[in-house]
Amino acid sequence: MPIDDRNPSAGDGGDGISQAELERVLRIVPKGAFALAGLAVGALILAWLGVYFFVFLPRGPVG
Amino acid sequence: MSDEREILKMELRWATIAGAAVAVIAGVIVLSSFAMAIHPPSHVETIDPATLGQSGEFAEANLGARVNPDGSVTVRMIAAQYAFVPRCIPVPQGRPVTFRITSPDVIHGFIVAGTNANTMVLPGYVSEVRTVFQEAGDRLMPCDEFCGLGHGAMWSLVRVLPQSEWKSDENGRASCEIPH
Repeated sequence: MPIDDRNPSAGDGGDGISQAELERVLRIVPKGAFALAGLAVGALILAWLGVYFFVFLPRGPVG
Repeated sequence: MSDEREILKMELRWATIAGAAVAVIAGVIVLSSFAMAIHPPSHVETIDPATLGQSGEFAEANLGARVNPDGSVTVRMIAAQYAFVPRCIPVPQGRPVTFRITSPDVIHGFIVAGTNANTMVLPGYVSEVRTVFQEAGDRLMPCDEFCGLGHGAMWSLVRVLPQSEWKSDENGRASCEIPH
């Protein structure tokens, strides 16, 4: 969600969090999401390759 | 605005990674399929299910394993409620085996446990599966398509014999016994 730059107090909803702190956190958050998604997809692809090469192919050709 | 551009850049990067993952999987499938001639059984051949066991290729005397002139083996079977005929099929280890199987009644399933040999058996059609058994031993071959009340008891046995134990008669026929 875009942050309202014109209002410096937009991030301060009475919870003591300043606009600068909010922006800093919002810059970091997507990195964690991408790291998590990357690990999940990487594990999925490795598992698929493992099943294909170590289970499917050794079971013999079929046609 | 710069945040939005940053997010767009990250999304594009992620889309590239996702596309690369799909490309790797598709590439592995295509390359190995060409290299090892792997493909889903796609044989289409029709047959009259009413006269199966009486004459022709699936007459009772013609069922079972038979060695071809080139050394490969062809197995002819009938899947009927609720048994495969024959109940035990000997095949040689490490040689090409072709299963030809059909049904006179309803849809059955053909699967040899622990291998990729797997297809549906439809009345009116001859299903054909080619494979090579890499390891010797008995393999269960249950019907894997629900075909009625006796479905659970419908199974056969594929006996993969090492070359040293494989033998066929003067007509190229081979048979085996079901263990008690």
